[in-house]
Amino acid sequence: MGAPVLTASDVCKRFGPVQALRNVDFRLEPGEVHALLGINGAGKSTFIKILSGALQKDSGTIRIGGEDVHFRAPEDAIRAGIATVQQHPELVPDMSGLDNIFLGRETASRSLMGRIDREALEARADALLARFAVPIDLSQEVGQMSAVEREAVAILQAIAVDGIRVLILDEPTSTLTDVEREDLFALMNQLRAQGIAIIYITHQLEEVFAIADSFSVFRGGACIARMSVEEARSSGVSLADLMLGEAVGDIFPPKADPDARGDVFLEVRDLSLTHGFENVSFTAHRGEILGLFGLVGSGCDELAKSIFGVDPPDQGEIRIHGKPVSLRKPREALDAGIFLVPGDRRTEGLALSRHSLFNVPMANLRRAAGGRWGLKSRQLRTDIQRLTDQVALHPPHLNTPASGFSGGNQQKIVLAKGLYSEADIYIFVEPTVGVDIGARAKIYGLMRELSERAAVIVVSSDCDEVHGVADRTIALHKGRQVEPESGVFSRDDLLMAGIMGEGSL
Amino acid sequence: MRTWKDRMRHSTRGLGFVALVLIVAAIFGVLEPRFLSYVSLNGIARHMAANGLAALGLTFVVIVRKFDLSIAGVAAFCAMSMGALIAAGWPLWSVILAGLALGAVIGGISGIAISRFGLPDIVTTIAVGSIGTGLAFIYTGGRSIFQNFFTSGITDLNDAKLMGLGVSMWLLVAIYALAWFVLSRTRTGLAFYATGENPMAAHFSGIATRRFVALAYVLCAMCTVLAVLLILAESGTAETNKGANLMMPAYAGVFLGAAIMGGTSVIASFGGILLITMLLDGFALMGLPYYYSDGVVSLILLIGVLAFSDGARGTLQALRFLFWPQKSTKPTAKGSDA
Repeated sequence: MGAPVLTASDVCKRFGPVQALRNVDFRLEPGEVHALLGINGAGKSTFIKILSGALQKDSGTIRIGGEDVHFRAPEDAIRAGIATVQQHPELVPDMSGLDNIFLGRETASRSLMGRIDREALEARADALLARFAVPIDLSQEVGQMSAVEREAVAILQAIAVDGIRVLILDEPTSTLTDVEREDLFALMNQLRAQGIAIIYITHQLEEVFAIADSFSVFRGGACIARMSVEEARSSGVSLADLMLGEAVGDIFPPKADPDARGDVFLEVRDLSLTHGFENVSFTAHRGEILGLFGLVGSGCDELAKSIFGVDPPDQGEIRIHGKPVSLRKPREALDAGIFLVPGDRRTEGLALSRHSLFNVPMANLRRAAGGRWGLKSRQLRTDIQRLTDQVALHPPHLNTPASGFSGGNQQKIVLAKGLYSEADIYIFVEPTVGVDIGARAKIYGLMRELSERAAVIVVSSDCDEVHGVADRTIALHKGRQVEPESGVFSRDDLLMAGIMGEGSL
Repeated sequence: MRTWKDRMRHSTRGLGFVALVLIVAAIFGVLEPRFLSYVSLNGIARHMAANGLAALGLTFVVIVRKFDLSIAGVAAFCAMSMGALIAAGWPLWSVILAGLALGAVIGGISGIAISRFGLPDIVTTIAVGSIGTGLAFIYTGGRSIFQNFFTSGITDLNDAKLMGLGVSMWLLVAIYALAWFVLSRTRTGLAFYATGENPMAAHFSGIATRRFVALAYVLCAMCTVLAVLLILAESGTAETNKGANLMMPAYAGVFLGAAIMGGTSVIASFGGILLITMLLDGFALMGLPYYYSDGVVSLILLIGVLAFSDGARGTLQALRFLFWPQKSTKPTAKGSDA
């Protein structure tokens, strides 16, 4: 390869007492896909923000094509050829994909009254699509699009500027299914073929081998390793070990002893919901973790919410401790002892602008008030302190708003909320989306701990997660339940069952 | 619930608020010495009682992140209704109860329309308020009601004093204390705040968010009734434009208080409405025509909210950095001693 398109040397950044980046050296070759790895708090987000102009470095140099650059704002970075797609791209849902791509730069004129030339716009779109053959209909509204289509729109929007040489993707796959991920990788390959270098943040280590040419590992604010994927493959180095700085081994806790399986806490019989799922039946026992694998659209999310009373089922029966119940809203489900760790913790789980003391007791205000009306403030504080210690909230600040924590630690607050509600059936939906590997291991460990006194159900579109953490698994495919032919699913059978719907019924 | 650090920060804001009140009082006192007279301060207390009750009701609505623009209409209709009942010879206590019940019904209509049927809050409350304004005319066609007012005892609400303080002020303090307890010390209060912060997460936590939204409107309308009751007591007549001047001070009090105290709360609203009432009465005393009052209040609201916004704080810090580049390290006086 020729001269690097982007180099950084000795980049430092400090936030108050925290040294977020220390002497980071970084190199990006033209036309390579370069993965950026590291647990939350390792400094990769800070580094990306400096590259994209959202933050300013304290010291060090950044060179693009050999020239020193200093970005004061994101516009400077874009002008220098660096485009960024945020983890949750901001698109206008009511506008078409095409309108979103050219939003704010419909014309060359800066005047407010500048007329929008539809034909010129379409010509530009055609030129863009000629370079990148995305198999999506850009005339439909973004609100109607799937997650991967929205991601593609966001990427096209980012690179629609002339002279983009570097594209930064911040965890683009965290909300995608396995199939959608392949589509995204195809688009990334096209970009690479056009000579655009991609910096790509991910927590999914297997993706590194699937798509990346090389990777850098961040740990404790420093870039501790840069390697090509071939090197890593031939040397057999463990990426997780590099990220954590110590041998992690398995992130999944040991499986339960099948003999220790306790009573049936939850039984679901022939549960159906229109446009959701059909005739789903299973039992969840105390002492085990039940895994439910299904892609987006498989009805998994709907099933979990249905059991929790958000969208009550049309047909079928739910039994808790053997007694049939009818749960028509979350309050009734909570009273019956079910707690849902929702798939979207930011909208369904937390009041983001509030601290743990506010969030944790929310699902069990009765306990917070000791059965009466007035809150038992001191007791509440001790209880919450104990729970946040138990889930290893980091940093352990009770008064920091939830929005000030990383994804993994936000999930830990939701977990503490679940523990505070003292349920005996826990349903986790997509528990580790956007959660780094260290926090993932902790969350899986907590699930295992919880399963000693409660029935735990893990619902996820991540096959390895379901297979790794659950003692028993079932799959959902297009709303239909798929069960193993021989008692238990192997990892590959589970994946096939979820993707293809194969297996015995 | 809080660490000492949190408390410090909280009380710093509180102290700042007190300082602001004292400064405003001092400025008016210098410009117009009558401002600090007993009569004037008593007037401020009376006006604050009426404004404060309206602001308290609004506080509940703002906590669930909604708006209520029906305050003026509700006040007008309930004022005329209570006036008509007084004229009809009903005993005062039954008039007040009837007024509160009427307010609860109107607030319930807005609340249920917004929470249960998902109507937009601003449009709904403008409509309900306008209907109220119209209905205020059904009793007398717009003429004022004053019959029986002086024999009914309603004017005592304005005139009577308890330990040197008007009963209306006692009423205000009592209701604020109750509201403070409910909102910051009970699970009902937590549920109110949770509903406003993130209704979806609150729903998933088993909180009956619709009920709390509806309840906020009911409480707002009932507080408005109490506020307009005090206005009737002060003027001795019921007129259709009574309460027209309640809405703007209420909004100004709630939002200015929230801006200064860093969040909507009962205490913030109390401070906000104290400040607003002082400013209103001060300007009135200095001869500012009444028809400018809404404009003045709104201007103060905008300046206040801007001054205490995060953006302004950043600018302020930048300015401070300009004048005191480093944290003032004390000059080492001991060195010269040696």
